[in-house]
Amino acid sequence: MSADTLPDLPPVAQPNADGDNQRQMTVVPAQSPRPGGIEELCEKFVTVCESAVHPLEIAGALEFDGWSDRAVRKRYGVSDVFALAEEMYRRVPRRPAEPAPQPDAWRISKWRPALHGVLYGLPTVCFTAAAGLLAGPNALTVMIVALLSSWALSQALAYLGYLRLGQGVPVQAQRVLLVGLGAGLAGVLAAMDIVSMLVLVYDQEFIFGVGLGSYMLGATVLLVLGSERLLCLALAPGVLGATVFLLLGRPSHLEHTTWVALAATPLLALGLAVARTSRGAGLRRRFTQARAKPTELLSAADVRAALPSAGFGLVAGGLLVFPVAVGTPGHAGVNTGALLASLPLALSMGAAEWMLVWFRRYTQRLLRTTCKLRAFATRARLLLAAALLQYLAATVLLTVAVVVVATASRLIDPQWTALPQIAAYMMLGCSMFVSLLLQGFGSRIFPLVTCAAALVLEILSRDFWVLGQIMVGTGLLIVLAGYAAFVLGSAERHSC
Amino acid sequence: MKIAMITEGTYPHQFGGVSVWCDQIIRGMQGYDFQLVCLVGTGAEQAVWDLPENVSSLITIALWGSPPTGPRAGRRNGFPTRLLRRLIESLLDSSEEAQGRFGEVLRQLFDYAQRGNLSASLSGSKAVRLLSEAWQDRWQNAEQPLPTVNDAVTAMQLIEHCLRPLSHPPVQADVVHVTTNGLGVLPALTAKWQNGTPMIVSEHGIYLREQYLHGPKLPYRWPVKALYLGFLRRLCALGYREAETIAPCNIYNRRWEERLGADPSRIRTVYNGVDPANFPMADHEPEEPTISWAGRIDPIKDLETLLSSFAIVHQSMPEARLRLFGSPPKGREPYLERCKELVVELGIGEAVTFEGHIDKVREAYNAGSIVVLSSVSEGFPYSLIEAMTCGRTCVATDVGGCTEAVGDTGLVVPPGNPARLAEACLTLLQDDELRHRYAAAARARALEYFTIDGAISRFDEIYSFLAAGHPLPTVPPGADGDDQSDIAPRSESDNLLPFGVAG
Repeated sequence: MSADTLPDLPPVAQPNADGDNQRQMTVVPAQSPRPGGIEELCEKFVTVCESAVHPLEIAGALEFDGWSDRAVRKRYGVSDVFALAEEMYRRVPRRPAEPAPQPDAWRISKWRPALHGVLYGLPTVCFTAAAGLLAGPNALTVMIVALLSSWALSQALAYLGYLRLGQGVPVQAQRVLLVGLGAGLAGVLAAMDIVSMLVLVYDQEFIFGVGLGSYMLGATVLLVLGSERLLCLALAPGVLGATVFLLLGRPSHLEHTTWVALAATPLLALGLAVARTSRGAGLRRRFTQARAKPTELLSAADVRAALPSAGFGLVAGGLLVFPVAVGTPGHAGVNTGALLASLPLALSMGAAEWMLVWFRRYTQRLLRTTCKLRAFATRARLLLAAALLQYLAATVLLTVAVVVVATASRLIDPQWTALPQIAAYMMLGCSMFVSLLLQGFGSRIFPLVTCAAALVLEILSRDFWVLGQIMVGTGLLIVLAGYAAFVLGSAERHSC
Repeated sequence: MKIAMITEGTYPHQFGGVSVWCDQIIRGMQGYDFQLVCLVGTGAEQAVWDLPENVSSLITIALWGSPPTGPRAGRRNGFPTRLLRRLIESLLDSSEEAQGRFGEVLRQLFDYAQRGNLSASLSGSKAVRLLSEAWQDRWQNAEQPLPTVNDAVTAMQLIEHCLRPLSHPPVQADVVHVTTNGLGVLPALTAKWQNGTPMIVSEHGIYLREQYLHGPKLPYRWPVKALYLGFLRRLCALGYREAETIAPCNIYNRRWEERLGADPSRIRTVYNGVDPANFPMADHEPEEPTISWAGRIDPIKDLETLLSSFAIVHQSMPEARLRLFGSPPKGREPYLERCKELVVELGIGEAVTFEGHIDKVREAYNAGSIVVLSSVSEGFPYSLIEAMTCGRTCVATDVGGCTEAVGDTGLVVPPGNPARLAEACLTLLQDDELRHRYAAAARARALEYFTIDGAISRFDEIYSFLAAGHPLPTVPPGADGDDQSDIAPRSESDNLLPFGVAG
């Protein structure tokens, strides 16, 4: 076989590797492509050679194919596998294949965010029906306390649930949600107890508060676990009852029935949430024959990490409830106009979810197609602006739709004076959208602090009524959007 | 004496050859106090081994999961822009001098990591910008795929994960024993830099080679792959250069070690060993001439070649049997199916049996007149030295440390060559006298060189020398270890089937 072996190879210059420029790399034309020569081997290993980052990578592949020093010496007359690999690295230019495209993690159905939007919006109908039923002097206080405590607790619960799901242990997530559901309920009960110690609270108001909390927590569990259908089931009696009650013009003989229908919703949400979480958790326990210690279930660090979410839930709840609570000039008490105006906002959260995904998908594409950081920053900011505008457009459309439907069903009598209130809510909606976006990118403290500051400002400027709300909302949006434009221009923020 | 043993993704969290070896060493060295430092994924891994009593502590360093917290990188700690730039340059520069700079930079990064937040600096926007700019400078007019923004972010994140061990406090021990090169040397280097602790790098499979083989499966574009594997190559080369002793489990590994800059005089081969009590001399051979194979059913074992060669054996010796012991690991079940289809295709279904998993692997060796290993890649396979200890003649492919294991007590053939494998099997099955002579010699060889006691006494010696601050006695270049140089294959000796060249 000596005729087949190469003469002593010319000294091979240390090839450039590891990202160094391979410009000088040229194909050495085979002097005479003989069967069994190195050329043939290059052909066989062409994929390895073209994507190799160093001759040693080819050496590894050769050895894996069964080539030993002895064998290559006999066959190719080179000193060893390494020398052969260097020769092959020199002969075959780098032409690496692109890796298989990664599955698009942000490809989700449009229906899910839309369904979420409806699910966020539907309880508003129940509130509107219930608001008239709660007659006590402190009904508003009870409602606010119930809302704020359950918002805060359910936001924290959602954070912990998603955290565990993200770690790839669905059973753990179920157990955390189940335990958190219990703890959250205890929290809402405690909050209601404290209120009833401080002010006069009627029994039905107390029950309403606890029911509100139960619904929020149960719905959170179901949404985190992706059981939207179960949540629809839970919402059905309350929403149907409330809708009929409102459409018929709040007939007093139906009050009792409406109460029963309204009460069914939180009970169902709670029951379904417990059923959905205890199934997996119980199964696991039977297998392992051991209960995890509470510290294994949830560390102190986890609980600490959930605090910003709880805080944001509290503040966001405050911002949403404030216009309802503060009333209108000359009409203290529940502002039902504001309550209805908040409906498009709740619905728009579905649009917000969709736009978050949209933004992610386009920025991910941008990351993979842009080579210069500055170009990336500019385009990412343009995408941010586009996402915000699309969200705003969706919210305007939803508002128009709600007004048209509500007017047609004679629930409201639209007046131009309601426009400022709607505008205030739109500013708030945009701010919530940017806050959610920032939270999705791991920035949780900034939205919390700015929204808290905005709430304080709204309370301080309550004498300006809706004008104050618009001004504070606009300011909040400018600050949040500016911060988001600053932060999301950095490429490394987008890699999760 | 305190030994820190460093593992990466193996003992005590996973089963496998390296874990068996770690457990054997620790249990065999009761006079030493072991501290385990384990590089793991997220830190949520559970130990699957019961730790021996002389393991005093177990430290896990999570490479993934949430990053180690540290003081925020600020002006006070000196933001390491210059350091980042030098790190990136040392990785993109393939010259030999860059290897030296890489070592210096790594040490400075360690100094920084002990007082600042290295993880935040490495994955922060400044690092991404520096890498992106460095790439832009080098990539002009090239036909290479241009690195994207995503490439820069991904590459820096990978480096950040790899370098997390630098942020942990160095281990306090007399000797640090790294069970495999690669990321495992980082904790050893920190101990060496801070306390001057001597380090041993053991090696089963060549870490870098395995990383390269895994390369095509990496989901990254070429620039990222080049930077990441370039980092690992620099790190492995540094590991070999900084280690007081390199203790591979076969001589075959030396080639890669020396290629990457290891000082040959520091290499001491310590062969894997088995406990002879677990593998007593097999008493009698099976009645029918039987070829036995034991292992996990995996493409790396090249069972296709084994089955094809057996078809040839079967033609000359219709009474011959082939028994395969073992099961496929998770995900490899289709390979087993493929092998079974091949058996049918070859028409040897009557003579071949897939026995599945067996609890006492020595029974698998006893079941054969000879034991065959047809792998295309091996380190220093336990199955060979176990079969030899049982007094079985082996036929193996010339990969990894197989030639060293078998020596002149069996036959070695080129991998992927059914004709040669069949020829070797027939030679042994037909010549009782030769087979029995080899069998006796195989047991004698295993008892002399491949016992666990042998491995332990060599580590005992290495630990004592290093802890006392003495260098190991020097060995003349070319020889490996003081008393084992004679077992290395000297040449294409007569014992090996002569290699012909196909074609």
